[in-house]
Amino acid sequence: MLDLAIRNGRIVDGTGLPAFEGDLGLRAGRIETVGGRLPQGAAARELDARGQVVAPGFIDPHTHFDAQLLWDGQARPALEHGVTTVVHGNCSLSLAPLRAEHRAKLVSMFQQIEEMPDAAFHGAFEWTWEGFADYVAALRGRLALNVAPLAGHSVIRLWAMGADAQKRAATSDEIRAMQDLLRECLEAGAVGLSTSYVDVDENLFPVPSRFAHHEEIAALASVLGEFGRMLQVVPEFYDTDITLARVDQLAELSLAHRIPTTFSPLFDYAAAPANVSRVLARVAEQTARGAQVWPQVQTRPIDISFSLDQASLIFVQTPIWYLVMRLPREQKLRSLRDPGTRTSLLQAAEPNGDPARFAKLRIRDSRDPSLVGRRLGELAAERGTTPAALMIDLSLEEDLGIHFLSASMGHEDPARVGAILANDLVHVGASDGGAHIQSFATYGDTGYLFSEFVRKGGHLSLERAVKKITGDTARIWNLPERGELRPGQAGDVVVFDPDTIGRGEELPVRDMPGGGMRYVRSASGVDAVIVGGEVVYTRSGGYTDARPGVIATS
Amino acid sequence: MSEPVIAGATVVAGHDGEAQLVVRVRYENGALGSVTLDADCARKLMEDCGAESAAELTGQPWQRLLAVLPS
Repeated sequence: MLDLAIRNGRIVDGTGLPAFEGDLGLRAGRIETVGGRLPQGAAARELDARGQVVAPGFIDPHTHFDAQLLWDGQARPALEHGVTTVVHGNCSLSLAPLRAEHRAKLVSMFQQIEEMPDAAFHGAFEWTWEGFADYVAALRGRLALNVAPLAGHSVIRLWAMGADAQKRAATSDEIRAMQDLLRECLEAGAVGLSTSYVDVDENLFPVPSRFAHHEEIAALASVLGEFGRMLQVVPEFYDTDITLARVDQLAELSLAHRIPTTFSPLFDYAAAPANVSRVLARVAEQTARGAQVWPQVQTRPIDISFSLDQASLIFVQTPIWYLVMRLPREQKLRSLRDPGTRTSLLQAAEPNGDPARFAKLRIRDSRDPSLVGRRLGELAAERGTTPAALMIDLSLEEDLGIHFLSASMGHEDPARVGAILANDLVHVGASDGGAHIQSFATYGDTGYLFSEFVRKGGHLSLERAVKKITGDTARIWNLPERGELRPGQAGDVVVFDPDTIGRGEELPVRDMPGGGMRYVRSASGVDAVIVGGEVVYTRSGGYTDARPGVIATS
Repeated sequence: MSEPVIAGATVVAGHDGEAQLVVRVRYENGALGSVTLDADCARKLMEDCGAESAAELTGQPWQRLLAVLPS
């Protein structure tokens, strides 16, 4: 008897082939039958998927759930969006391998780079490991979804070189030690190595991986080649020309060591309209040579959050505002209260009385929960004031603690982004799930792919969109048991309504260890999520207690 | 034109939700390039140039830009 039958669904199998009607049967954690009609009573449990799509579980290749998974093995709310496998340990940072004396350093880097709160690392879990195998052992039994952990180059350097990891290039002996350590990580289940050419630590000093010479990267890539595993890179994405050079470097490493490589992020924005096209042209050249270089592109537009407590660059195009925001805090408060300065600020923000510029801004968080999410224009009209005046007044009322949001400031043109996502050379990813949690929600990018670029824009067919975040991802990351619905594959399945799948509103919640705040988005249109043949989430019943997640590389 | 100059600057959103500044550079041969600065680098560039707005960066020599880029 089957363990689970999903009946009457529209099967989109992750290969990109046309959808077809049929049933799906699962047994012992794996897919046993795809298509056709299962006889009544064939399974111990049944789900009716009439009118729904039945697809492979989504795979998110760029997350920072490293710490969260240790207290929340469901990686909420990623799981309810249909994500059944996550890659974590990106951007040179992972929780293993890590000597005990380096834990504080790593936590500081995570806080600086990924904006993760201190409480996420202290008291929320017990550090029981140093080596990668023991870290993987600590994850086992906790997980409701599968993980494919990367080993971070910066922590490997710290292990091998101590404080010198942030001072100099490695010696030959140190490089050999790093190779041995990476080999141990890969044998214990690491899906690859992550490195960064960009990030800085808590003192704004380059992270350890940035001190590596090419010989070190090449030596580590040769170890990746022994396992056919991934090299993930954060290139100097702020400069197109340097990014092109990194594409060439990754291509040479890929060809020399027969490894896949991926880099992230790659953004589209109006201020540098040729950025993506130039990078993709170079990727196409290198792909034609046989290299595997996968640029990761996120689906969601980028918002800017800010408060009047900081001199955000959002004000640099309005000189008087930028001038006031750069003042020392007490002087700034006096200036904002000063009638003359206030008049100057309002005239600059609302020239000729036109409130349009600030009217679209939203309140991101406030002491008054009823204000969160409201547009300044609407709220100002209710209160008989102007949006800019309201921004100043609310900021003074909340001692500059209130935050505002300017939506869709980058990667924001659906027509351009849709065409990029549909490009066969583009790897849909870069969600950053679990990071930047107090700035914006990194959940729901998969739902947004369907709502914005399948239903609304028509840039991808349903089948192609599913393939992009299932079969393609599994192939790129060498996860051969996942990403497609066919007999023998892992029983990772998502059942969703193609007409309503999307992402909910961004909302602040206080569910972090110690009561810390983060932004989340709930799922819409996802009916059921199955991992390893077990139901881990249903729309009607919420999350279950099942913990079927595994190390996806094992 | 004897050296590259800043041809303009625009605020965009960075992947971490912070505002960033895309600075366009016009090279001696007329070609345009762009460099994206994070908040700290952009503030330093504006200070070094004595600029009170992004518009005032236009025409500044690119050496000022090179000076604030991360090493």
